[in-house]
Amino acid sequence: MLKLTLRTVNANKIRLALTTFAVVLGVSFVVSSLVLGDGLRSSFGSLSEEIVGGTDLVIEPSSEFGTPQPLEENLETTVEGIDGVANAVGFVENDNIQPVTADGTPLTTFGPPLIGMSWVDDPALSSFTIVEGRAPASGYEFALDQDAARDNGFEVGSTYGIVTPNGEVDMELVGISRFGESNSTLGAILSQYPMETAQELFNRTGQYDSILVSYESGADPTAVQAAVSSVLPAQTEAIDQAQLLDNAKADFNEGINIFNNILLGFAGVALFVSIFIIANTFAIVLGQRTKELALLRAIGASPKQVRRSTMTEAFIVGVVASGLGILGGLGLNYGLRAMFDALGASLPDSPLILAPRTLIVAVVVGVGVTMVSALGPARKAAKVAPIAAMQDSVDAPKASDLRRNLTGAAVMAAGVLLGAFGLFGQIEGSGARIAILGSGSVLTFVGLAFASPAVAAPVISALGLPVRVLGTAGSLSTQNAGRNPRRTASTAASLMVGLALVTTALVVGESIKQSISETLASEVKADYISAPEVPINPMLLEDLEASGHFDAIAPYRYDQIRIGDDVDGVIGTDLEATDDLFDLGLAAGALTAGSDVVAIHEDEATEHGYVVGDSIPVTFPSGTTESMTVSAIFTSSTIMDESYLINMSDWDSRFGEVVNWWAAVSVADGTSIDVADATLAELAQRYPQAPFENQTDFRETIQGQIDSLLVAINAMLVLAIIIALVGIANTLALSVFERTREIGLLRAVGMSRRQTRRMIRWEAAQVALFGSILGIGLGLIFGWGVVTALPESFVSTLAFPVSRIAILVVVCGLAGLLAAAFPARRASKLDVLDAISHA
Amino acid sequence: MSLLTIETTETPSAPAPASPVAASARNAVKTYRTGNSEVRALDGVTVDFTAGAFTAIMGPSGSGKSTLMHCVAGLDQLTSGSVAVGGVELSDLSEKQLTRLRRDEVGFVFQAFNLIPTLTVEENITLPTALANAKPDVAWLDTVIAAVGLGDRLKHRPDELSGGQRQRVAVARALASQPKVIFADEPTGNLDSRTGAEILNFMRRAVDEMGQTIVMVTHDPIAAAYADRAVFLADGRIVDELHAPTADSVINHMIAMGD
Ligand SMILES: Nc1ncnc2c1ncn2[C@@H]1O[C@H](COP(=O)(O)OP(=O)(O)O)[C@@H](O)[C@H]1O
Ligand SMILES: [Mg+2]
Repeated sequence: MLKLTLRTVNANKIRLALTTFAVVLGVSFVVSSLVLGDGLRSSFGSLSEEIVGGTDLVIEPSSEFGTPQPLEENLETTVEGIDGVANAVGFVENDNIQPVTADGTPLTTFGPPLIGMSWVDDPALSSFTIVEGRAPASGYEFALDQDAARDNGFEVGSTYGIVTPNGEVDMELVGISRFGESNSTLGAILSQYPMETAQELFNRTGQYDSILVSYESGADPTAVQAAVSSVLPAQTEAIDQAQLLDNAKADFNEGINIFNNILLGFAGVALFVSIFIIANTFAIVLGQRTKELALLRAIGASPKQVRRSTMTEAFIVGVVASGLGILGGLGLNYGLRAMFDALGASLPDSPLILAPRTLIVAVVVGVGVTMVSALGPARKAAKVAPIAAMQDSVDAPKASDLRRNLTGAAVMAAGVLLGAFGLFGQIEGSGARIAILGSGSVLTFVGLAFASPAVAAPVISALGLPVRVLGTAGSLSTQNAGRNPRRTASTAASLMVGLALVTTALVVGESIKQSISETLASEVKADYISAPEVPINPMLLEDLEASGHFDAIAPYRYDQIRIGDDVDGVIGTDLEATDDLFDLGLAAGALTAGSDVVAIHEDEATEHGYVVGDSIPVTFPSGTTESMTVSAIFTSSTIMDESYLINMSDWDSRFGEVVNWWAAVSVADGTSIDVADATLAELAQRYPQAPFENQTDFRETIQGQIDSLLVAINAMLVLAIIIALVGIANTLALSVFERTREIGLLRAVGMSRRQTRRMIRWEAAQVALFGSILGIGLGLIFGWGVVTALPESFVSTLAFPVSRIAILVVVCGLAGLLAAAFPARRASKLDVLDAISHA
Repeated sequence: MSLLTIETTETPSAPAPASPVAASARNAVKTYRTGNSEVRALDGVTVDFTAGAFTAIMGPSGSGKSTLMHCVAGLDQLTSGSVAVGGVELSDLSEKQLTRLRRDEVGFVFQAFNLIPTLTVEENITLPTALANAKPDVAWLDTVIAAVGLGDRLKHRPDELSGGQRQRVAVARALASQPKVIFADEPTGNLDSRTGAEILNFMRRAVDEMGQTIVMVTHDPIAAAYADRAVFLADGRIVDELHAPTADSVINHMIAMGD
């Protein structure tokens, strides 16, 4: 029996290769995800060690919530005096320090921060080495990391501007530095300054962000740490080397895991889609071998043996697919790296780690998926009666049976219910919610795939109406597409999955875009908004004010406060200006200037029973508690997405971080839009990281960001569609083979090659359209569900991207035609004589 | 659609002169190569198939009957020699023109699998006309359908018909486009003798009453007896022929040939 199985696999090589394409892709994604993850983890592991270097202990400010206040400078001397401490060095840093090139352009990145920091002289405590020139020592001089310097033409000895939160300052570049061993900055730009200069420019005069400590050799780490801890003031903590490493690795791992999970998600989609295709191929191939199977049964093979032989075949195919998938995954690993390089976000060099775990997962997944797919066809094959060997070939599949339809409908209903529960139910944790949603949609897909043969015939014949106009080839194509509804349905099912996901993404994206437009129209009165990736330089806001062309200027900061036992988010801004810039839907009170006032969102106010005029005790990250007066209660949470708003004047003294994340302004009376535009354009030269945009541009920028996110998601999902199209091509090729005699007869009685090609192509287009319609229908429902489940503040309206979906349908139909190119060519090239004498 | 229009306007040749010969072969040679050995399936066959006559091609299995029929019908190419249908040399025709010839000038009836399973009886009968995007000649169609006696089965699918009925539909399809000649390759080979007789009678009537030309390959002497003439093939050559054959005369002939 095994010999026969091997022969069969061998005889169907090409066909099975096509089938396994989908599994190979899925396995490739799994493998590349794991390989890349392992590689990155290993290189981030060594990167973490470089960062920590010889630092034995780091002293940092801490707080139970929010951003703590920086450390006081004198702590450095205190710690240095402790027995066993070799050196204690203060450290300050700021995430928004822009060196300016010789031609006057401030450096920018595509998201990673531009970190300025104090230079640490002690090599044991520094992560940097000077590779050219010298270290910055005093006054206005700086060092820049070697890649930033090389890429932007910075030269040691020249003077450059540095944009800081306190304005632009000219400084001499005295040295080129290297971070760790290979300057793996992950796209960040790193510059170093003398301590006093850094403190002055980063608003840390007399303060440190942290203190780095090294021990004397031979000192007992536990004893030294205990001694250091004993001198620390409140709201300060000491973190030892092991903990530092763990923290650094945990940070990196979180990033890697997100990345990994995205790749695994796509792998899952690819594998899921491939299940339909493989099941289909096995069913067709076995169908064609009915006589052979029946003969086996007739000469004494048991149903079990037939089934086992089929499953062995699937096993072999799975093993081969897994092997190819492992190779593909290694290739994809390089492909992904190249892609990130091209995007300007190079991943750090990392070793290629092919862990045994990766191999095992690849084989288990590849073989598992293939064998699961083959289960149904194998069971059917085992049921072939011996008598079938003697009968004429019966090519009359049951259109659909009630039991199958009911099962499908039940599974689908279960999936929909599960999905609804996932969307609307009370579920702890987003992981659980996603898992429930995921299984809900898988069940819905499977159920629909089961039940769809019932609708395949009528839908196809409706789709076929316009095709019939194209003559006999057209109507034959419709009949062919509809003659085996089960096959058509499962071929279409793979396409359905991809399209449903793409459509869901499109609907959600469109709804978000629409909601943004509506919010902007109804709640935003500001003329210009800036919401850059990096914080907004306070100098920009000062310059805006100084221009005299703008009257309401409000930056927005985020942190946390505690009221009683509740820790909540707080926004710091200019409340009076905010009142001019946005319509927050005030329910009571007024947004006013002044200190110790707080505006509260209606929900929070109702929950705690606050009314305007109440005094409430607010605890800040610094630990101080102060009484603040409720001045307003607002209802909209779309723009002010925290429950508490306070004035900036109350901010600086209470929070450790003064970072303006975004800002809005209005044009002063008497200033024309042209003047305002010109002023902003000029400022954009000096502060290129934070351009101000008018409402229209701002909307377009945000919508553009959503679009590019959609493009990224859909680009990956297109993979599922490509797999599905390969599936259509495969199924069609098999059908052509199955219908060789029929095609031969058509050719014999006068069908031209062109007509033959057209017949096959239109058949594919109809199957593809059928799949698209199911998928898009499902996607619209999914999209509606997701939009309904998302918080109102995030999406408030449901919008359907009609034109995009229409394009999708047309593209899928055309892609179907394309998928048919090879089978159609094959059919038209069939030798008439061979075909009619085809056994 | 336009593609078809082009095809139909591309006339393969001048209209055939009124000739008593519907199809013919001259010194037809067909050799097959399999590995090193060469099979001469046709070894210089010269034969005329008279218009309006029913000709049977007879001979033992492997004698080249099917090959001769395929070559004359334009399904296959000769190695040397020439064949003509309605006076048109097939060797001059392009693939497109051959397709047109098969559609318009020639009818086929095979031993089995003659009908497209997804099409109804009626659609199968009008298939060549539909492929040509032409309007069927309704009066003629009615005549054919009446003759074939399947008027009540027109909307049925082939799998709802018996083997004999299917072959009758196949003959009706061949007749429907009023071809110059109908080629039938053992059309009764899969049928019991009674059903076979029905088909043969029907073909006989098509010749007698409709003036059709039919060339039928068979190895059954009883079937051959329905023909006006029987041509005997052996080893790729025409070895003999009989006019107005009867089952007995054919059998005697075959015995004489040592088969
Ligand atoms: N495609 C082919 N390849 C090789 N040999 C062939 C092929 N077709 C027919 N033959 C050979 O040509 C000879 C005539 O075949 P055929 O015309 O089918 O005979 P008949 O129909 O009289 O039984 C036989 O010897 C057969 O084996
Ligand atoms: Mg033959």
